[in-house]
Amino acid sequence: MWRNSPTQFGLASRLLHWTMAALILALLVLGTALGWIKPNLSTLWLYGLHKTMGLTALSLAVIRLIWHRISPPPPPLGPTAHWQNRAARATHLALYLLMLAIPLSGWIASSATGLDVVIFGQITLPAITPTSEALENAGFAMHGILTKLLLALLLAHIAGAVLRGLKGDGTLRRITKGL
Amino acid sequence: MRMLLLLLALGASPAFAAPAKYTLQPDASLIEFETDFGTDKITGQMPITRADLTLDFKNVSASHVAVTLDSAHAEASFPFAAQAMKGPKVLDSVDFPQISFESTSVTAKGEGAEVKGRVTIRGVTKPMVMLAMIWRQKGHQAGDLSHLTIRLTGAVNRSDFGAVGWSDMVGDQVRLDILARIARSD
Repeated sequence: MWRNSPTQFGLASRLLHWTMAALILALLVLGTALGWIKPNLSTLWLYGLHKTMGLTALSLAVIRLIWHRISPPPPPLGPTAHWQNRAARATHLALYLLMLAIPLSGWIASSATGLDVVIFGQITLPAITPTSEALENAGFAMHGILTKLLLALLLAHIAGAVLRGLKGDGTLRRITKGL
Repeated sequence: MRMLLLLLALGASPAFAAPAKYTLQPDASLIEFETDFGTDKITGQMPITRADLTLDFKNVSASHVAVTLDSAHAEASFPFAAQAMKGPKVLDSVDFPQISFESTSVTAKGEGAEVKGRVTIRGVTKPMVMLAMIWRQKGHQAGDLSHLTIRLTGAVNRSDFGAVGWSDMVGDQVRLDILARIARSD
């Protein structure tokens, strides 16, 4: 039930997939909003929430990678050499890299500001870089660029899943119902 | 408390005809600051390290004020603000742990005095004008000028000193309100 099989996603992988999907969607909305709002005392907590959600997403990405080592996910349906499957594998690889790189770039940039990175309102994470305006600017610029790349890849990922769902080849059903 | 500067206008008693030296009572003194943060304010306090004053109640222009603030131990109304303020992008209190002000001229103005001087923040020195009011401290008899309270108010633009961090979020003008309790030392 929990573990993946050679043809099916187990419950653990499906829970991780959809939890992270919801978290990343919320992070994209919140992160975009933070770029627009004017900070004041009543909105300050939203920055902490973004960091909390981002570090949670990073943790879940690591857990997911470890889980896939323990219980490998099934390969894409259909011929391995088919261009759609090659594109799907490349997209998945890029998504995993971005799920690690985006929160890390945010953590690097936040550390470089010299301000504490506090998650869940009380846990102060260690600074992973020295205080540096150059690192801060580079980190936040990278955070923004990688997030836009993630958005583009997510749209491709969703479009591919919907197209395969419409074709009824079982790809979408595998990750929703595990069948 | 009674406004002491009336004494200045009327001429002081013989005992205070000469300039008198005063030093800070640090535990009873405080500097408060305020700046804009969106629609809100960031407020905070900073300890006063030193305040040396020479007050001439007969000849106000002979008075002199020198105040040093401990920026490394500043506190703000929320933790991030204190960290940001003391960090390298604002006060850089590791390299510049003190802020100092020294008067260059004092003139009577209204019920108080206008104190022109030079303030040094982050190692950058700029002219600054502060308004001063002086009172006799509570519990001291009329005519007893041995313990005084001096309030200095003024404002600086932090960008003048290169303290430009978070300028997209936090206002440029920082308003200062120094309440120094002083005791005669000579």
